Amino acid sequence: MTMSKDQNKDEHEKSSALHTIIDRLALGPIWRKFFVRRVPKARWYYGDGATLLFLLGILIVTGFALGLMYSPSPETAYQSLVHITNVQAMGWFVRGLHYWSAGMMVVILLYHVFRHILLGGYLPPREGTWVIGVLMFFLVIINSYIGYTLRWDERSVYAIRVALNIFHRVPWIGDELVYFVQGGWTQGNATLSRLYTVHVMIVPILLLGLASYHLYLVVFHGVTTVPERVHPVETAEEQKELYDQLKHSKKEGETFFPYTMVESQIFAFVIFCIVLALTLTLGPQELMREANFTETSFPAEEWWFHWYSALVAYLPPQLTSWFYVGFPIALFLYLMLLPFVDHGANRGLRRRPLAVGLTVVVGLGLLSLTGLRLQSEWTAWPRAELAPLPQNTELTPSAQLGHTLFTKYSCFSCHALGGTGGKIGPELTRLTVRLSADELRHFISQPPQDVAMPAYGHRLSEDELKALVDFVLVAQTFPHKY
Amino acid sequence: MDRRKLLTLTVAGTGCAIAGAVGIPVLINMAAPAFAEKDGEDWRPVGPLSDFPVGAMHNREVVISDQKEHQKLSRRSLYVWRKSEQEFSVYSRACTDLGCPIVWDAGSEWFFCPCHGGIFDKEGERKAGPPKRGLWKYANRIQDGILEINVRSVPPMA
Repeated sequence: MTMSKDQNKDEHEKSSALHTIIDRLALGPIWRKFFVRRVPKARWYYGDGATLLFLLGILIVTGFALGLMYSPSPETAYQSLVHITNVQAMGWFVRGLHYWSAGMMVVILLYHVFRHILLGGYLPPREGTWVIGVLMFFLVIINSYIGYTLRWDERSVYAIRVALNIFHRVPWIGDELVYFVQGGWTQGNATLSRLYTVHVMIVPILLLGLASYHLYLVVFHGVTTVPERVHPVETAEEQKELYDQLKHSKKEGETFFPYTMVESQIFAFVIFCIVLALTLTLGPQELMREANFTETSFPAEEWWFHWYSALVAYLPPQLTSWFYVGFPIALFLYLMLLPFVDHGANRGLRRRPLAVGLTVVVGLGLLSLTGLRLQSEWTAWPRAELAPLPQNTELTPSAQLGHTLFTKYSCFSCHALGGTGGKIGPELTRLTVRLSADELRHFISQPPQDVAMPAYGHRLSEDELKALVDFVLVAQTFPHKY
Repeated sequence: MDRRKLLTLTVAGTGCAIAGAVGIPVLINMAAPAFAEKDGEDWRPVGPLSDFPVGAMHNREVVISDQKEHQKLSRRSLYVWRKSEQEFSVYSRACTDLGCPIVWDAGSEWFFCPCHGGIFDKEGERKAGPPKRGLWKYANRIQDGILEINVRSVPPMA
C-alpha cells in the first residue's frame, strides 16, 4: 500500500519535473503550432523539402568536422585535405558525406524548384515562400561551386579561373569585379581566404536564416494541397478558406506529426541512403595534383555543372559574353518574377501545360548536355600514339610513312579512325564525301577558308604529302568501327 | 510631436545610426580590393635570348609575384615564340574563353584548350571553339640580352 503511494509520488514528481522543463523552455507552443497542428494531407513526393533540410544539416555537421582540420591557406590547404582524407580517422567518410550531400542537394533542389513550377507552388499566398526559396537556390549553387575550389587542387584553381573569366565579361566593371573576387591583382592568398569565408561563414549563416524563414512561411501558408490542384483557385483569400476547410476535415486533413512527417522523413531517409551508399562505394572526390599554374592539366567541373560546360562548348563566340553574364541574371529575374507574372488560377501539373513543357524540355536538356560533356567531342588534344589499324592491314611503304605522319603532324589529334582519336574534325572512317588524291593533297596543303584546320603546305615535303594522302585514301576504306 | 511618434523615431534613428556606423565602413572595407592599382608595371625576366632559337615555341615558367605565401600560384607557365631575332610573342596559358590551361600541340602548331574546344594558332589567333578573341599576350622587351615581360599587361585573371 505504502509502496504504491511512493511510486505515485515518484511519478508525480517526475512528470512535474518534465512539465517544468517544457514550461521553462516554452516547448508547448512549438509542439502545438509546428508538430501536432492540423494540415491537409500531402503526397509522399512532397518530401523533397524535408530532404533538403536534412542535407543542409549533414553539410553543416560534416562541415564542422572538416573545418576543424582544414587549413585555409594556399601553402597548406592541399596538404590538410590529403591529411583529412588519408590520415585522419574517418576523414574520407566525412569528406565523402560532405561531397555527396552537396551534389545530392543540387539534384534535390532542382527537383524542388521544378516541382513547384509544375504545381504552381508560388501562386498566392505563397509568393513570399517562393522568393525566399529563390534566394536560397542561388546560395546553394554558389556554395556547391566554392566547395570544390577549397580542395586547392588543379580542378579548384581552374574553377576559380572560370568564375573570374565570367566576372571579367561584365561590362565596364569587369576588371574591378575580378580584383574584388580574387582579392588583389592576381590569384593568391586572399583568394582562398575569401572563398573560405564565403563558403563556411557568409553563405551558411544566410542560408540558415532564410531556411528558418522559409519553413516559418511553409507552416504559416501551408503547401499546395491536392484539392487546390483539382479546381482553379483564384485569390489568396479563396486559397486560405479552402486550406482551412481541408485541414479540419476528417477525410482530407491529418495531424502533421507523425502522419505527414513520416512520409517526408522516409523520402529523406531514402535519399540519405543513396548519399551513404555513394560515400561508401565511391568515396569523396579524388584529389587532383595540388593547385598550380604550371603543369599541363585537364581540369573539369563537378558533375552537377557538366550541363553548363557542354552548353558553353556549343556557344558561338559572339554569344559567349552575353551568355556568361546574362544567363545568371536572366535566371534570377525569371525565378524572382515568376509569381508576379503568372496570374493563372490553376495549380497542379494537369492544368499547366506550359510549365510541364518547360520542365520536360529543361530536364531533358540538362540530361543530354551532361551526356555530351562526358563525351567532350569538341576537345582536341595532342596524341603521341599511332592511330590503330584494323587487324591484318597491309599498308604500302608510302601509306606506312603516312601512318606515322598522321600522328607526327597531329592529324590524329582531331581526326579519329575506327572510333579512336580526336572527334573535333571529321572521322576518316565515316566520311560522307570522299576526296580524290588530288583534292586531298590540295585540302591538306591549304584547307578552305571556313575549315578550322592548319595549312600544311609549307610544312610537308612532296613525299610527305604524298604519303599522308596515300594513308588517308586507305584509311577512309577502313570499317566505321574496329 | 506626440510621445509615441518621438519614441518611434528614436527606435528607428538609433537603429539606423548603428547600422550605418557599422555597415558603411564595412562595405567600404570589403569593396577595397576592387580598386587595386590597375595599370602597374612589373617587369620580370623570362630568360636569356640564347635560350630561344628563332622560330620555335617554348614553354617557360616565370615567377610573377614575390608573395611567399602562394609560391605555387606565383609560378606561371607561359609560351614564348621567337618570331625573329628581336621579335617575341609571349602568350598567357589561360584560354581567353574561361581560363583553362591551353597546351601547345607541336604537330599541328596550334594551341588546344582542354575544356570547351578552344583552339588558337601560332599567332595566337582564335581558330575554333567558344573563345571570342585571340590569346592574351604579355608585353615584352629585351633588357641586356634578357627577355622580360610585364606581368601586369594581361587581364588580372589570366
